[in-house]
Amino acid sequence: MSGQSRIDLLQGTLDLLVLRTLQNEKLHGWAISERIQQISQEVLRVNQGSLYPALHRLEHQGWIKAEWGVSELGRRARFYTLTADGRKQLEIESQTWETLSAAIGRVLRMA
Amino acid sequence: MNWPDFLLRLRALVYRNRVERDLEEELTFHLDMQARKNVHAGMSQAEAANQARIEFGGVTQVSEQCRDARGIGLLETVFQDIRFALRGFRRSPVFVLTVVGTIALGLGLDTALFTVFNATYLRPIGVREPGALYEAYWINRVGGSSGFSHSEYREFVASNPAFSEAFAYMDVEGRMNGRAMLGDLVSGEYFRVLGIGAALGRTLAPEDCSAPGRQPVVVLSYRAWRNQFLSDPDIVGRKVLLRGYPFTVVGVASPGFTGLGSRPAEFWAPVTMSARFDAVQNRPDTAEPRSLSIVGRLRTEFSTRQAQSALTSWMQLRTAANPDSAKAMQALLISRAARKPLRLANVLAFSSILAAFSLVLLIGCANVANMLLARSLARQREIAIRLSLGATRRRVVRQVLTESLLLALPAAAAGFAVSEAAVRLSLRVLIATIPPGVAGLVATLPPMHSDLRVFAFTLAVALASAIVFGMAPAIHTTRVDFMQAAKGDYTHGGRPSRLRGTLVAGQVTVCVLLLVTAAILLRGADRIHRLDATLSTRNTIQIVAREKSHEAVVGRLAAEPSVEMLAAAAHAPVERKSMIPVRSADGSELIRMAANQVSPEYFALFEIPLLRGRAFTAAEGLSAAPVAIVSQAAAQRLWPNREALGRSLRLAPDPGNDASLAPRQVTVVGIARDEISRWIGSGEDTSLVYLPTHPRAAGAELFVSVPGDPETARRKIDAALATVDPDAVQQIQKLQVREWVDEDAYFSFRVAFWTSSAIGVLALVLTLSGIYGVISYLVSQRTKEIGIRMALGASTRAVTNLVLRQSMKLAGIGALSGAALAAGLSKLLASILVVIDTFDVAAYIGGVAIVLAACAAAAWLPSRRASRIDPLTTLRYD
Repeated sequence: MSGQSRIDLLQGTLDLLVLRTLQNEKLHGWAISERIQQISQEVLRVNQGSLYPALHRLEHQGWIKAEWGVSELGRRARFYTLTADGRKQLEIESQTWETLSAAIGRVLRMA
Repeated sequence: MNWPDFLLRLRALVYRNRVERDLEEELTFHLDMQARKNVHAGMSQAEAANQARIEFGGVTQVSEQCRDARGIGLLETVFQDIRFALRGFRRSPVFVLTVVGTIALGLGLDTALFTVFNATYLRPIGVREPGALYEAYWINRVGGSSGFSHSEYREFVASNPAFSEAFAYMDVEGRMNGRAMLGDLVSGEYFRVLGIGAALGRTLAPEDCSAPGRQPVVVLSYRAWRNQFLSDPDIVGRKVLLRGYPFTVVGVASPGFTGLGSRPAEFWAPVTMSARFDAVQNRPDTAEPRSLSIVGRLRTEFSTRQAQSALTSWMQLRTAANPDSAKAMQALLISRAARKPLRLANVLAFSSILAAFSLVLLIGCANVANMLLARSLARQREIAIRLSLGATRRRVVRQVLTESLLLALPAAAAGFAVSEAAVRLSLRVLIATIPPGVAGLVATLPPMHSDLRVFAFTLAVALASAIVFGMAPAIHTTRVDFMQAAKGDYTHGGRPSRLRGTLVAGQVTVCVLLLVTAAILLRGADRIHRLDATLSTRNTIQIVAREKSHEAVVGRLAAEPSVEMLAAAAHAPVERKSMIPVRSADGSELIRMAANQVSPEYFALFEIPLLRGRAFTAAEGLSAAPVAIVSQAAAQRLWPNREALGRSLRLAPDPGNDASLAPRQVTVVGIARDEISRWIGSGEDTSLVYLPTHPRAAGAELFVSVPGDPETARRKIDAALATVDPDAVQQIQKLQVREWVDEDAYFSFRVAFWTSSAIGVLALVLTLSGIYGVISYLVSQRTKEIGIRMALGASTRAVTNLVLRQSMKLAGIGALSGAALAAGLSKLLASILVVIDTFDVAAYIGGVAIVLAACAAAAWLPSRRASRIDPLTTLRYD
């Protein structure tokens, strides 16, 4: 592992990132956590223990849905895709996040 | 809970193992992938797997968290309750069978009744889109309702925007080839609007109604074709005599179609042929008769209210110039979607019968409630522990109610089957026992299939009864005293014995009510049976002639050699008669009495002896002279203990009544023996005033006595009268007073009696099993007390009495309230049927005695068991 310091994800932001990673493709759980770390250049660390409960919660909320498929290595794996409801939710949450981070950014710059 | 959530939860419940395996596989996959990555990074296999696990955290915890994401919702607890209840049922199958059987019995009765109601008032008739069919009629300013004339019908079709299509029809009757048949005269659109096709030939089309009196064609009903013409395949094109006129059969309607009304039509002819069917056109008044009913198909964009107001203003405009009796006040629409239109009165009548039938179900519910109560008391310990451990009371009540609902579902299915069997059986019994005089009724019955509505009804009633019988035990058992429970005493804190006692007393009440009512009905029927109808009617034939040929018929009958004697009367004996207020000339009190105008020969023909005085003379009959003959009973009422002969009598008929009964003073010239004067259902009223008339008087019914076999004579006379005019005779039949009394009048009582006693006996059987159960339970509960009593010297007899007394007290309370309710009910019945005696002592004593004896018998067995309790064993037990 690199020596760069890593940030544990805040409660709630994990949902947003999961939805965002699933926006364009269907992925299994491990791939989701890999993708988040990879894109964030290993800055964001997905606590793998909390990933799966989050996936199940999102599934129950109807934002993502799961189906069994075959992984790139030929093994059976559970793939998640975004549902129509999930797409809407992603939009809402991204906007909230943008507003929030912009606001925090302003406070940090101006205060 | 949203939809995906619900589905996932359901899946997790139903495929519990698979969902668990899936979760495990998913997590294992993740660990394997992570380990593989670690190997790529240069770790050894073992180290890689280890590292992956450390990074992941506890697999068990994570899977637990995944399950928690699901949470425990309503669905899970409902499933738990169901699983728990089913486990309990598996342990006590006899209990389950008893409950299901008891409820199914009561439910079956109710459902059977609803099946009949549904078939009559709710199920759409088998025509095209019956839901949109409405029949129009209007009410005039004096309150009478009225139909429409031909020209009004044509205007209706042309000008009414609310209806997409319409047809007109009128009921008629006529003898076809000598047989009386019912039919409809219909406009040409009738079959097209209803979407009814022909089984043979064609139906009627608008061309058939192009000109009045020009198309003597007729369509037969499938049933008439089969029964009257023996399914003759060459029927189309044949000529039949209908009301004495030749009509050509053009087709046979499709099977099962019998017109719109409850009165099944056997033929359909064009409405333009109406002149052939009534004498209306002979009437002096030239106004067009309003004899048509109009049925239209309401457009979906109109409400009935809108259509009604449009119709009202149209009819008001059209009749504005008329006198009040023909001026429209309001036009109304009534749905023709079902066999009979659903009116409030029908619903009320049905509800009251349903209420009586539901008593059986209610008794069943009380039994089941008692059983559940006993069962849940046995489970008191378990429930007390669950409550002590923090289960909310609602949660436990819900669990007990789930059990009740689970019992109700198989009961609903079984009740449905019971209902099917009951309907089929009662139809068969009805057909087997119905007297020929009213056998036509069977043909008017709609087919009694059950459908989705019936099933929904059964299910709803089953669920309602589950709540009825489940609520009491649920609430009762959860009322736990925690202090007692903590000390290990789990016996009930409340007073279930009082609840139980109330249930039993209620059951006895219902039994007494039903059985006393049955007995009152039986004795009423018996009274009718004993009525002395001594009239000689063996060889009498009754002829009702049409107005236009009345004179000719009388002339022909007088010349007919097979006629021994000819008499005439406004009403046949026993038939319902006009009631008019009369008073003696020297008295002031007005008395309502039945009156009948009879020809002089009437007394000789029916062998009614004149006790004093004389019969009318022919001259008196012709001139309707101011003389009268009164029955003994009438004489006694008018002039108590005085000679009536020669006295004067004032007739004061209500205005608007029978025109032939003008107010006048008449002299009594004879006293006749009493006869039943009116319809039997109204009792043994025999006071009757006879006034003179003659056979040629308009509207008189004709009676002839014939030698030999009346049926042969009837045919001979019928044939002879057909030579006068093929349509001269409206009705010709053998007069059967005794048979009529025995069958027609008696039959409805018999049906009511059998129905009432059948449900009464069912109720009694259920009650007995209930009493037996309750007393047995009470005895087992009081074992300790009884043991102590016996140890202290109570005799076997005293113990038996102790138990019997307890149960008889309940039975006594129930019997008293049941008798009181029965008095109320029969008072209601008596207001409809005079022959019912509200305070028929024998019926009350009989009904109450049967129930009390049965209760004593049911309580006797447990009381014997109580007396055999061994005091030593019970004392040692504590």
